[in-house]
Amino acid sequence: MELVFENIPFFLKGAYYTLYVTVISMFFAFIIGVLVAIARLKGPIWLRLIARFYVSIMRGTPLLVQLFVIYYGLVDYGVTLGSLTAACLGLSLNAGAFLSETFRGAIQAVPKGQTEAAYATGMTPAQTMRRIVFPQAVRIAIPPMGNTFIGMLKETSLVAALGVTELLRSAQLLVAQYYVNMPFYLAIGVIYWIMSIGFSAILEQVERRLARAY
Amino acid sequence: MKSRKGWTLTALLLMTVLVLSACGSKATDNGSSNGAQANNELEQIKSAGTMKVGMMGTYPPYNFLNDKKEMDGFDADIAREVAKRLGVKVEFVSQEFSGLTPSLQSKKLDAIISQMTITDDRKKVLDFSDPYITNDVKIIVKKENNNITKLEDFKGKTIGVGLGTNDETYLRNEVLPKVGDFTIKTYDDVITSLKDLDAGRIDATINNLYALKPIVDANGFNIKAVGEPIKSDQAGIAVRKDNPELVAALNDALKGMKDDGTYNTIFKKWFGEEPAQ
Repeated sequence: MELVFENIPFFLKGAYYTLYVTVISMFFAFIIGVLVAIARLKGPIWLRLIARFYVSIMRGTPLLVQLFVIYYGLVDYGVTLGSLTAACLGLSLNAGAFLSETFRGAIQAVPKGQTEAAYATGMTPAQTMRRIVFPQAVRIAIPPMGNTFIGMLKETSLVAALGVTELLRSAQLLVAQYYVNMPFYLAIGVIYWIMSIGFSAILEQVERRLARAY
Repeated sequence: MKSRKGWTLTALLLMTVLVLSACGSKATDNGSSNGAQANNELEQIKSAGTMKVGMMGTYPPYNFLNDKKEMDGFDADIAREVAKRLGVKVEFVSQEFSGLTPSLQSKKLDAIISQMTITDDRKKVLDFSDPYITNDVKIIVKKENNNITKLEDFKGKTIGVGLGTNDETYLRNEVLPKVGDFTIKTYDDVITSLKDLDAGRIDATINNLYALKPIVDANGFNIKAVGEPIKSDQAGIAVRKDNPELVAALNDALKGMKDDGTYNTIFKKWFGEEPAQ
């Protein structure tokens, strides 16, 4: 255990990269998720098809494969991304697909009567979406969204394969230095756990704040 | 508003689809496009002021993280010395061995200095400097195991080896057809394979003795090397193909190190003996 305490600064550096990749990807995944959900519900037929295709591919292939395609594969076509960029892009696109399903479900969960009532008061479809359906959908979406985000936090361990020294890679390097496994893997387990508790707490706050509006 | 969002999304999705379809189509000839720029890669490194060197970082005493959290070891010292002689700084990227070659080819790295054995297969996709070390590879088993002393004894056993290493290719392409069926279990670093050997999850592994010593010393692992060396490997600095200026500069640097004794000093520092002539 002493070894772990000695190496906390090193772990923190790894945790920093883990967090960095997670937060950036969350942000873009959220945007992608909203846009794709709207596209699938309200878009013209061809857009719906593209969106469905995208969701199907992202959900149907392993994230590691997606990361390899982006990081190693794209180079053959002249696109060379840094490992952090590739990691964020891959995770955003992947989590975006999962989030879009969450949002689509949430939007559909808002009773149709709400939309009809809004139309009856003379709101345009865009206004209805923004003022009536969205605020209600967001509340429904928060718990499953939390699932996706926390899942993503842990999936960042895959980006070690792209040469990012995040938490998992830090532990592997320390194992090779000290020749002991358990304390280091336990330590990063705890760090992941603490970070996910942090995210849960933030989401809970958001949930509570949104509930207050009722 | 809705339509504008729609267009952003369309653009984004189209990009994804294009990318995916492009990946699906056959890569016809990507060797030539790389070749055009390659001529001045030495100049590129010099003007960038840093050479990006890939290594496992989990292979002591060759390359590992030291107490100060810096890359250290024989490979790291060689890399630093070579970079010094090229007049640039060195930046280490630690990655699993199997990811090093793809990273080099996709220009994320300038060179690999990670005990990469020079083989004809690798020469098809990479260029190598002159060898900077020769390693004898032996069979390694648990101390109480006396059933395995030569390659022929591998039959029916489980043998561990580093994924994407020259040892893996050797086991698969040369040993396997010769001695009959055995299971090959692959690892991303040496230490995990030795731990699994010590834990009894594999029957044997093959590796070189320098790599073995610090791990056994630190752990008191119950393992031993047996028999005669099964092969002798020469490792070189790997760079992208068609890169003669860089290779020449690396060779000059290596030769300079050997001539002025720096190489011997580094070798003795890590292996405690003079390099074999």
